Amino acid sequence: MSESEMAIIKPEAMKSYVWLQCTDGSIQQVEEEVAMFCPMICREILQTGMGSSKNYAISLPERVNPPILSLILDYCRFHQVPGRSNKERKTFDEKFIRIDTKRLCELTSAADSLQLKPLVDLTSRALARMIEGKTPEEIRETFHLPDDLTEEEKLEPLKNTNDDLRIRLLNRLYAKKRKELKERQKQKDVEVEEPQKDERSVDEILSFINGDGDSKSAKAAKNKKKNRRKKDQPKDPSRIESEKSHKKDALTLSMGRSEPGGSNSPSPSRAEDAFPTRVDFEDGDIDDELDPAMKEELDREVEDFARRLNSDWPERMQEILSLSQERRAVPNLMNGNGSLQRYTGNRRQ
Amino acid sequence: MREERSDMSEDEDGGGGSAKSRGGGGAPPPFSDQVLENVLENVLQFLSSRGDRNAASLVCRSWYRAEAQTRRELFIGNCYAVSPRRATERFRRVRAVVLKGKPRFADFGLIPNNWGAHFHPWVCAMAAAYPWLEKICLKRMSVADGDLSLLAYSFPNFKELSLICCEGFSTAGLAVIAEKCRHLRVLDLIEDYLEDDEDEMSDWMSRFPETTTSLESLVFDCVGSAVNFEALEALVTRSPALRRLRVNHHVSVEQLRRLMALAPQLTHLGTGSFGSAAAAIPQGGNNVVDLVNTFAASKSLVCLSGFRDVAPQYLPAIYPVCANLTSLNFSFADISAEELNPVIRHCHNLQNFWVLDTVRDEGLQAVAATCKDLRELRVFPVDPTEDSEVSVSDVGLVAISEGCRKLRSILYFCQQMTNAAVVTMSKNCQDLVVFRLCIMGRHRPDHVTEEPMDEGFGAIVMNCKKLRRLSVSGLLTDKAFAYIGKYGKLVRTLSVAFAGNSDLALRYVLEGCTKLQKLEIRDSPFGDSALLAGLHHYYNMRFLWMSSCKLSVRGCNEVAQRLPHLVVEVIRDRDEDDDGEFVEKLYMYRSLAGPRTDAPPFVKIL
Repeated sequence: MSESEMAIIKPEAMKSYVWLQCTDGSIQQVEEEVAMFCPMICREILQTGMGSSKNYAISLPERVNPPILSLILDYCRFHQVPGRSNKERKTFDEKFIRIDTKRLCELTSAADSLQLKPLVDLTSRALARMIEGKTPEEIRETFHLPDDLTEEEKLEPLKNTNDDLRIRLLNRLYAKKRKELKERQKQKDVEVEEPQKDERSVDEILSFINGDGDSKSAKAAKNKKKNRRKKDQPKDPSRIESEKSHKKDALTLSMGRSEPGGSNSPSPSRAEDAFPTRVDFEDGDIDDELDPAMKEELDREVEDFARRLNSDWPERMQEILSLSQERRAVPNLMNGNGSLQRYTGNRRQ
Repeated sequence: MREERSDMSEDEDGGGGSAKSRGGGGAPPPFSDQVLENVLENVLQFLSSRGDRNAASLVCRSWYRAEAQTRRELFIGNCYAVSPRRATERFRRVRAVVLKGKPRFADFGLIPNNWGAHFHPWVCAMAAAYPWLEKICLKRMSVADGDLSLLAYSFPNFKELSLICCEGFSTAGLAVIAEKCRHLRVLDLIEDYLEDDEDEMSDWMSRFPETTTSLESLVFDCVGSAVNFEALEALVTRSPALRRLRVNHHVSVEQLRRLMALAPQLTHLGTGSFGSAAAAIPQGGNNVVDLVNTFAASKSLVCLSGFRDVAPQYLPAIYPVCANLTSLNFSFADISAEELNPVIRHCHNLQNFWVLDTVRDEGLQAVAATCKDLRELRVFPVDPTEDSEVSVSDVGLVAISEGCRKLRSILYFCQQMTNAAVVTMSKNCQDLVVFRLCIMGRHRPDHVTEEPMDEGFGAIVMNCKKLRRLSVSGLLTDKAFAYIGKYGKLVRTLSVAFAGNSDLALRYVLEGCTKLQKLEIRDSPFGDSALLAGLHHYYNMRFLWMSSCKLSVRGCNEVAQRLPHLVVEVIRDRDEDDDGEFVEKLYMYRSLAGPRTDAPPFVKIL
């Protein structure tokens, strides 16, 4: 008779049990030899003496809920029997992991918290097989994962990771631009309200005609309306595109950066004028105050700023980097005459 | 490289916040991210392929980080595509690094010396970042003795060094490696060019540890200078794990026999000269018998190479091992078909065969008759000039295609070819992954029909559905490239020389071959408009090389402006003033590191 069969006909009273408690409060009674297969439980029993009765049940880690615990115990129950052949074990394992993705993830995590390494490896391998050959999108779908890498991070990134300040600035500008475009969307939605504004401007015109002081504000109001309409048309398509793929924004930014100083950059004087007032980059409030003409200028200025950032920094960063590299390299020159050769240019053909 | 992503993890302000509002909005609540987080690293360690790792790193933030922590082997296909600092900062627990430098056309002397691909900045960065580094493999890099020194001193657990087609180091560097890398298992020097002065050579063979070594592989057949043979013998004696030994041509066949007797467990053997030291010739007969016995005792041999100065009377000595051979390299052996035949007749299990065209079509027919399991064939020219004698031709190619149906990779140098033969091969060998046909005469048509070779190459791309690498030659019109663009959907590497009529040809390729990674072109009439036709694709490629084509500085400038992440190098042969508009050599590649700072004066980066 095999040991497992012996275990079955053994009278209940002679078998020892341990009690395990999950974080939801439920308590399970399990054969001792099965539970001891988990290193974490084994340690608890041996070191603290817990688990011997219902009142002193061993508390299991959070990641082990009752259904998963039962799966794990099935695994332990099978494998703790010494007489099984490798082939039997392998067959069992292969069937065992044929469960849905969600449960497989939970099982891996639970096995890890119980320190049951063979099961961790088994399930991890199964998960790895599910990842193999898939695209990132497919992997996200399989495991219900968020798509939280920004487009910038997915694309060829723009600069050295050490450029913290630069990255922050550009990210701000970038986000600001996105926000602006959202603002435009809002404006478009708000267009319905324009008739009211029309009335107001008519009033203003009337008051102007009638000799009230605010000619400027009347003009400004008129211009606001005109410019807004003009811009809604060309801008909308780009807004739609940019919401679809922010890639375009990043590319626009980068193209703006790389264009030569000549043809496409904004006239320096205007940008110069606008620049000092934009030093403070706290988002949000500024946008609401701007009229469309200023917004267009902002667009250009964002690109110009990005371009200037990029043209000034590379040289300085390279300097800093090469300085730090040289400092590291100097002690190494002592080790081989070959490197000295290199630096003195004395290479043989 | 698209494979390397930056860690622009600015979690503050703009970047992160607006991104989170996108993606996964209406999808089921993301639970797995939390659940998997604990075990993610464990799961990812079972992912070994580069492609899977790259995909995993793009899934989401936590996966990106976990993948970066668990990547053990770092592969960098172009050393200028990313800076050493960025690579070492992202991947912190790397144990093995593969680095490639110069483009392949450097092998043909098309890249002036001192162009770049220096190992130095990499070894400095790795010395600081990866103290537990075990393996380094370099291909076409410039490696100085000082770099080897730094390597030897920086990595206490270093195990494997492979240098392929590298230059800049000498036996002095090897000496430091031998002495300091106490756990060295592999030292493979393959097709390197060592800088050695006659009077300054180092006896590196004596510098290995005096105790039992862990050496498993020692390959030095490219080392031009003789090694200390006694030291080599002693080293083999105290290296019980040695399985691969390839000696250089200074080792005579008698010396080889002694080495083999000391190491009957060898699986891979490079035979050195396989000819006699002059003094030993009178005892020729006995030597052969001894040699046969030695080979008979080497029951594990599966791979034979060397034969650098082969004396034909010694060839029969290898008969006892032929039946076990899976790989045989006769590419340095000037032997005839008659000399080849008795050897190849026994090689039923051969999968890789490299040979010189001195064996002619008859030799190839003998190969086709026996080697039914052949996967890779390379036929090299003994005289690589345009008008050398015809030795192998379409006859040999057809014979191979009929006898070796499992062929996956072929490199075939010849003087003349026919479309019919190439078409036949395309139909018989459907498993072809690599097809490189080098008709040595420029613009040479089908020698029977006098037509261009378009139909032949067209058939290859049409019929060989697994084709990933293609080298074309002979007289080719734009039509051939239309075929390639249309059918070569899996082609990753394409080599073109002296081919095509107009820009259309290059356009076809750039627009049609969606998986193209490496494109090298020389002496073909392609100009700026063709170059600009590929703008949509260049970020997906590792590199583009064009030399002696019809490019101008203006065209290259435009590419550089439109694609800021592309490094566009214009290389001149001579340090003259600008040759006006004409671009002699263009090498461009995507890069996260921006224009390199170590470019020599003859390289202009646009």
